[in-house]
Amino acid sequence: MGERPHYTEIDHTADVGVELRAHDLVSAFERAGACMFDLICPLDEIGSGWSRRVTVEGRSGDLEHLMIRWLSELLYLFTSEQVLLSRFEIEELDVGGRIVAVVHGEKMDAARHAVRVEIKAATYHSLRVDETPEGWVVRVIFDT
Amino acid sequence: MSSGSRDKSKSRSTSRGDLTEVADCVWEIARAGGMRVPGRIYADEKLLPQILSDKGLEQVVNVAHLPGVVRYSLAMPDIHWGYGFPIGGVAATDPSEGGVVSPGGVGYDINCGVRLVASTMRREDVEGHIPELVSALFRDVPCGLGSSGAIGRLSQRDVRDVMAEGARWAVTRGYGTETDLDHTEGGGCLSSADPSMVGKRAVERGRSQVGTLGSGNHFMEIGFVDEVYDEARASTFGLALGRVTLMIHSGSRGLGYQVCDDYLNVMQDAVRKYGIDLPDRQLACAPVESPEGKRYLSAMACAANYAWANRQVMMVLAKRSIGRVMKASEAELGLRLVYDVCHNIAKMERHKVSDREELLCVHRKGATRAFPGDHDEVPDCYRSAGQPVLIPGDMGTHSFVSAGTHTALDETFGSCCHGAGRVMSRTKARKAAHGRNLADELRRMGVYVTADGKATLAEEMPSAYKNVSDVVDVMDRTGIARKVVRLKPLGVVKG
Repeated sequence: MGERPHYTEIDHTADVGVELRAHDLVSAFERAGACMFDLICPLDEIGSGWSRRVTVEGRSGDLEHLMIRWLSELLYLFTSEQVLLSRFEIEELDVGGRIVAVVHGEKMDAARHAVRVEIKAATYHSLRVDETPEGWVVRVIFDT
Repeated sequence: MSSGSRDKSKSRSTSRGDLTEVADCVWEIARAGGMRVPGRIYADEKLLPQILSDKGLEQVVNVAHLPGVVRYSLAMPDIHWGYGFPIGGVAATDPSEGGVVSPGGVGYDINCGVRLVASTMRREDVEGHIPELVSALFRDVPCGLGSSGAIGRLSQRDVRDVMAEGARWAVTRGYGTETDLDHTEGGGCLSSADPSMVGKRAVERGRSQVGTLGSGNHFMEIGFVDEVYDEARASTFGLALGRVTLMIHSGSRGLGYQVCDDYLNVMQDAVRKYGIDLPDRQLACAPVESPEGKRYLSAMACAANYAWANRQVMMVLAKRSIGRVMKASEAELGLRLVYDVCHNIAKMERHKVSDREELLCVHRKGATRAFPGDHDEVPDCYRSAGQPVLIPGDMGTHSFVSAGTHTALDETFGSCCHGAGRVMSRTKARKAAHGRNLADELRRMGVYVTADGKATLAEEMPSAYKNVSDVVDVMDRTGIARKVVRLKPLGVVKG
């Protein structure tokens, strides 16, 4: 089972958003993936027997773009493979615009998994991937 | 390290003091900073505080920055905070003036829309059958997250045909009639569709979702006409007091989300290439006449066509369900499509700008087309009444049918509101619903509801929305869309 991440839900009228903190960039990306799936289904209800290596390409020096590409890739796995993800291990994160990661989860099972919300996409609206004196801050609004 | 966040600080918040009432229920935000046109909001005093309570107006201002935007960045009375464009936002750009098309001005659920079916059944005929009807619809039209399998899995080639042909694809395969196409906005097909502009992932996602409802705010609703405001128009639309109706709200499903996502990515580069400065990255766009703009519009048309085919198949499945429960043929029940409108789309349309008619790219993001009867796009049978405008409310109260007008054509690029508009976030709604049995509450209000998930029901509960009557009244008072009838729900299937 996955471990539920800490994050704040943003009160957006039409959609849902999250704000999270992380001590380094890799964990900021890993945690963003975890938060998105925790919105869909609490991570502690998702196993991790299924895994897949994913590669994501973004634009050089544009972490916001890379974040959206990363989350979009994970959402695509969710919809195309009907898989809920619970663990995210980034093996390589190049700010030049590339992520290689192994993600773990399990096939969705309607009898066991209470899917709370359909996330259509991760949007650029109000998006933040910023380094602050206290660490990294990520904010993402999802279209639901 | 730069995180590419140059756009964040440029949005400015909007307060009551920024609004000037320029006509009854019409408020203007004056041009300032990088705005190319003023903002205009349709609202009355009752709706304004709700509108000011979120960031919707800030987004009206942001949309006014789009290159080539003409006249106004508009907001309908159901406006609320979206991403990029506000929900309830309308903006038209002039391609001959470098006007852009923005996928964010259409949204992920391309051609999300509504269709209304009238019948000759009386309310009394169905009242004893509502749970049975709702169960039948829930069973026969796949609902909920990632729902699939209404008509079997399509080949990739079939999906391409759906994207090229729209609702006609369904009709030629036995799902409906030619009249249905006549009663669908644009005949249920945008001819600008080019399936080669749609990526493999989108096509793959489209294979199993034709004829499925999906989740979120999508629904099927059995109701009846409980008030008639305009007898003549109601009769033209085939709607009469006490008669039963079926309303279907769905869109282009995963295929549309993928098209939007893919092209937002393309537009991130286009913004740089064409030197476009925007206050929100979600507004990323390209000139309509650019290769990127043309490609997006062709792909968007594919998703729009997919949505029309989807609603066409869903309607036929739903009609068959109703026929089985009521033990009568569709003809005996008088089931007939009144109209199908889309409310998330960008369309090339001719409109007047400074007394000249121009071909504009009209973005409607949570807004419905509302053309007058003598417009070429309105079917002959509605010439005297105007285009039917379908405005669903929340599950517990009412929906409305209005009629498009010349005022809409003159003032709002022929556009009107699309629903009640949310006032409560999904999170707040879930909290407010905690410990309550919403299905029971709705049943006491006379509405029988079946939902795929409990959370959906909570998020879509009536108090999460503005009062749809207030929204529709503003459109009527300003002459944008004339109220014709009110519908009361009896049974609802939520995705």
